Amino acid sequence: MFLLTFGRSILFAFQSFWRNIWLSLATVFIICLALLSINFLIIINAISDSAIVAVQNRVDISVYFKPAVREAKVEEVKNQWEGLPQVKNIIYKSPEENLNDFKARHQNDASIQETLKELEGNPLGATLVIQAKNLQSYPEILKAVDNPAYADLIEEKSYDDHQLIINRLNAITGSVKKGALIISLIFAIISILIVFNTVRIAIFTHQNEISIMKLVGANNWLIRAPFIWESIIAGVIACVVILAVIYPLLSIIQPYLAKFLQGVDFNLVSYFNHNIIWIFGGQLIGIIVINFFSSMLAIGKYLKV
Amino acid sequence: MIHLINVTKKFQRETVALDGVSLHIEPGEFVSIVGQSGSGKTTIVRLLISELKPDSGRIIVGGWDITKIKRRHVPILRRQIGVVFQDFKLLPKKTVFENVAFALQVAGTPRSRIKNIVPQVLKIVDLEDKTDRYPQNLSGGEKQRVAIARALIHRPKVLLADEPTGNLDAINTKDIIDLLLKINEFGTTVVLVTHNKEIVNAIKRRVVTMEKGKIIQDQKVGKYFI
Ligand SMILES: Nc1ncnc2c1ncn2[C@@H]1O[C@H](COP(=O)(O)OP(=O)(O)OP(=O)(O)O)[C@@H](O)[C@H]1O
Ligand SMILES: [Mg+2]
Repeated sequence: MFLLTFGRSILFAFQSFWRNIWLSLATVFIICLALLSINFLIIINAISDSAIVAVQNRVDISVYFKPAVREAKVEEVKNQWEGLPQVKNIIYKSPEENLNDFKARHQNDASIQETLKELEGNPLGATLVIQAKNLQSYPEILKAVDNPAYADLIEEKSYDDHQLIINRLNAITGSVKKGALIISLIFAIISILIVFNTVRIAIFTHQNEISIMKLVGANNWLIRAPFIWESIIAGVIACVVILAVIYPLLSIIQPYLAKFLQGVDFNLVSYFNHNIIWIFGGQLIGIIVINFFSSMLAIGKYLKV
Repeated sequence: MIHLINVTKKFQRETVALDGVSLHIEPGEFVSIVGQSGSGKTTIVRLLISELKPDSGRIIVGGWDITKIKRRHVPILRRQIGVVFQDFKLLPKKTVFENVAFALQVAGTPRSRIKNIVPQVLKIVDLEDKTDRYPQNLSGGEKQRVAIARALIHRPKVLLADEPTGNLDAINTKDIIDLLLKINEFGTTVVLVTHNKEIVNAIKRRVVTMEKGKIIQDQKVGKYFI
């Protein structure tokens, strides 16, 4: 009896979906728009996250040691700094590497090449390149590096410019995240309202049917069930449509994105592929839950008698 | 079969639709309820299917005291009472067969049984050759017969007909009344609410006359006297 009624309510839902095909299509279309805006948000989030990570990875503190400082001493300092909780990693560059880099960088500058030839030995010392775990940690690390204990060893530290970038980036990341959160909230509310209203319209157009169902002795669950199924069917179809539409859209966006995020290794299509279960599974479950409660709420007042 | 005991129903505290009505209807009776517009006839029908609750008094249908019926029991009550209205209340997007089958589906009747019963009932109302039509392609009388078939599908002990011929011409009206009489002969209690003087005078059955929410006359073999 229960299974029979269950099956029938789905059948009624499909019948009603088909027999009111234009209203159903309108509902699907509106849910599609809501989903599209949510996917748009996911894209923006992914892009801003990867941009921030990219910049974070480029930010570092270079500490140039005096040529006289022995490698063992530099290693010792490296070990001390690696002990700091804010430090992600430290790269050691030997004086030879630095010299080769320097030569390579200035290979077209004849006068520098001349000067280098005249010099005896290596005028450059070792370098330590420090990366922090996150942007907020740089000030702490800088404080540690500035410790007078190391003053005799260090020739130069390049962090002044970074300080500015770091502060600015921190501000940008913060506001981007806050903005994204507000936009997602707005989108969430809009889609709930849209779904609620479409269900209301669907129920309104079925008012006559509901009163007849009550007249012939349908219980409330049987009356509700087709509407709930119908909204869930619309939601599932909308998810499938979005799934079909989003990939071509992503490949259209990708070239512009690559230009915008020069040098950053980020591909939207593979990002979506990688997270497909989360992105679409989440949307599917979300839309089913929203449609379920919207239908329950929207139909409530018609079930009083 | 039906007992109304001192039933009062008010709307918005001022309109007194029923004022201390007591009415007893025996099993197998055919009762016509007549009276001017607004005298409370439809209110009685709505109380009997528990679409409304009385303000005071008791209502008993088939031995079941439905005065304070629980909401989840209302569907069960409605499957034991057949109702038809002036405006037929058919589902426009379902065929004749589907409209009748619907009342069984909502009760969880297996498909095989539905296939078996629906044609039988459609035969009683003489519609066995129009099972696949949609309501918009039926005449008024045919629509009302579909509604009666649907009301009969659960083999109710009581059939309530609230102005079933209000939208019909004379010939269709006679067909419907004959059908109701036939149903009554099978043993179903029939309550007919009507304005039609000729009908009431022709059928020669009990007539209950109402005025301003009260029963003012109850005749064993009645005449429409207003
Ligand atoms: N939902 C309602 N809200 C307020 N008043 C109502 C409501 N339903 C009925 N009434 C009032 O109750 C009284 C009885 O109404 P009812 O429908 O029972 O009359 P009736 O005898 O069926 O009339 P008719 O012959 O016109 O169908 C009327 O005065 C009507 O205005
Ligand atoms: Mg009436």
